[in-house]
Amino acid sequence: MFQLIKLEYKSFFRSSTLGGKIAAKIFMWLSYIYILFMTIGLAFIHGNGGAAFVKQEADVENPFLLLNSNMLFYIFVFWVVGRYFGQATPIINIKPLLLLRINRDKIIRFSLNKTIFSFFNLISILYLIIFSLTIYSPEKFDLTQLMLWNLSMYFILYITNFLNIYLNKKDRVVIVLGVILVIVYALDYFQIFSFNPISEWIFYMFYEDKILVIIPIIILAFTYYRVIQFFKNNFFIDTGLRKKVMEAKQDNLVFLNRFGDMSTFLRNDFRLIKRSKRARTTALMSLLCILYGLIFLGTQDLLGDTMLFFGYLFSTGGFIFTFCALVPSWDSQHYSFMMCQNIKYVDYIKSKWYLGSFGVIIATIIALPIYGFFGSYHLIAVLCCGLFNLGVNSYLTLWAGAFTKVKIDLDSFKNAMGNTKALNSKTMLLTLPQMVLPLVLYWVVSTFFGHTIGCISVGSIGILGVLFKDMVLNIIIKTYKIEKYSTLSAYKETN
Amino acid sequence: MIEIRNITKTYNKETVLKIDSLKINSGQTFGLVGNNGAGKTTLFSALLDLIKPTTGEVLNNGINVRTSEDWKSFTSAFLDESFLISYLMPEEYFYFVGELRNFSKKQVDEFLSQFEDLFNGEILGGKKFIRDLSKGNQKKVGIVAALIGDPEVIVLDEPFANLDPTTQIRLKKIIKNLSQKVGVTVLVSSHDLQDVTEVSDRIVLLEKGLVIKDIKKTKKTLQDLESYFTKE
Repeated sequence: MFQLIKLEYKSFFRSSTLGGKIAAKIFMWLSYIYILFMTIGLAFIHGNGGAAFVKQEADVENPFLLLNSNMLFYIFVFWVVGRYFGQATPIINIKPLLLLRINRDKIIRFSLNKTIFSFFNLISILYLIIFSLTIYSPEKFDLTQLMLWNLSMYFILYITNFLNIYLNKKDRVVIVLGVILVIVYALDYFQIFSFNPISEWIFYMFYEDKILVIIPIIILAFTYYRVIQFFKNNFFIDTGLRKKVMEAKQDNLVFLNRFGDMSTFLRNDFRLIKRSKRARTTALMSLLCILYGLIFLGTQDLLGDTMLFFGYLFSTGGFIFTFCALVPSWDSQHYSFMMCQNIKYVDYIKSKWYLGSFGVIIATIIALPIYGFFGSYHLIAVLCCGLFNLGVNSYLTLWAGAFTKVKIDLDSFKNAMGNTKALNSKTMLLTLPQMVLPLVLYWVVSTFFGHTIGCISVGSIGILGVLFKDMVLNIIIKTYKIEKYSTLSAYKETN
Repeated sequence: MIEIRNITKTYNKETVLKIDSLKINSGQTFGLVGNNGAGKTTLFSALLDLIKPTTGEVLNNGINVRTSEDWKSFTSAFLDESFLISYLMPEEYFYFVGELRNFSKKQVDEFLSQFEDLFNGEILGGKKFIRDLSKGNQKKVGIVAALIGDPEVIVLDEPFANLDPTTQIRLKKIIKNLSQKVGVTVLVSSHDLQDVTEVSDRIVLLEKGLVIKDIKKTKKTLQDLESYFTKE
């Protein structure tokens, strides 16, 4: 076990992009600490019966019942779907280890058990503990019952944990779950049908009836066993580790021809999204981002206009923040080839900008009717956010791409558990300035001149950015030319 | 065609390449031999501006490869599998390279028809992406793609490794045909002395980054080279 940890440690510290990795790790830890405090705070507030921070006095009679009635929804949103995108599957470079004298079961159990202590799980448990401590008083609750309820929830948490690992190769299940969630939320929002009473009934039962804790234990044991079996059967070089061969079909994507010279590259990027699982997951995630604004739309009274604007920035720019943040890493496998072809570096980079703007335009077109439905206030906000993403954030992402230097293994079935995580903490680091800049501008201008002018000021900067496209790209390319050699050598590295 | 001036490459104080002057004339077929770590790939990488030499410069047709990108229009290369786009089908890859070199689909098809022998029916018209081809077939795809669009300088690193004997013989024929063409400069590196002497008309022997021998091919060349490597 210790040997395996040592290997991971070495692969981190001997990496050529160590500096960047450390910066990303620090950022990751900072966000962990932030989430930690948020969780403690939220658990405390929820336990005291406050729905959110703004409302001081308790407005809920029985916070325990409220939590139970929302449990079902939360479990699916955070523990199942949220985890799929946020939590990386455990990856060990397994192939060289298989031939060594390490027991196969040991490798599997090591990678699985590692997930037990993932931040995601610990934070959920922490929330439940603090919540329970806050609500507990001897008159109202029975200690044993509450503890058993807690245990049941932990077991359910770990069921979702192992389920996630198991499901990681199956996009479809998650899409179906996501669609169901949206429908359930919509039914509840428009007060057609609420699942809350059902959820309350189910989860309160775990409190009322002590013996019920057995059910999640049994399911958990079964899930764990199934996952282990699954990997055992897939752990031979000739089955699980071998790449899945997908039948190839040529597609010419004629509709892209109208983009002239750029179509040559756009065509390849489209094929990449279609044919590589990791690229597909990332692109899919950017589609989900479009709906992100809904969260802030629903809480506009609570969180304010600026947060809603933030939501719209994210909705229209999702593709830039997720997919384009990994440009040019998507080409990392054949970067040296690209550098030798009969094409100017700047044209290559330009094609990537077009790809990003393509994503922004599509997202904006989809988002406009969704949010425009709620009035022209939202229509103009979405439009201006789209423009800003198109004319400013697209360049920033592209510029940062020169420093990303993360190698992406597109044929990732080499890792038994599939390297499909769509988020990368390094790329998330960049979204900070990309968000703060327009938000501050919007906040300042709209405070004095109102919402519409605030939006227009942000949007017009975006238009300026588009107008000066060639100039900006020429500046960006200079950075790329300087970084070219170290990028090439970072891409050569395995792992 | 290609001129190398005072080039050195140093990694952590260790010099892996040091060539004072080397000129490769247009139309020459240039063979590079040497043991592992002799600097063959480093030299080719510097030539293609994939690494930054510590000192010195490379001129390709009078163009400094570090400062201008104009050499890309008449130069092509296949160094390793990082020259392949794994998620494309071989046809798509050929068309892509063709497009970059201003070759229409029809021209590419016509060009590919002369390699039917080499492809042996395993590459075109299949239902596989490049990532699912065998190593040898991948190599064939890469080498043939490097020949699309009438390049004047062709750089091939270890083209014979990993290929079956039949393909090796066919590939040698292709390279020999290329060198018959006026104005096509071919640079080939190899571990295999016999292969490389067979196709090239000038051979340079590298050892720890230095040029040890620079000879025009004669009947005795292979013997010379073999005796050099046995001596050690």
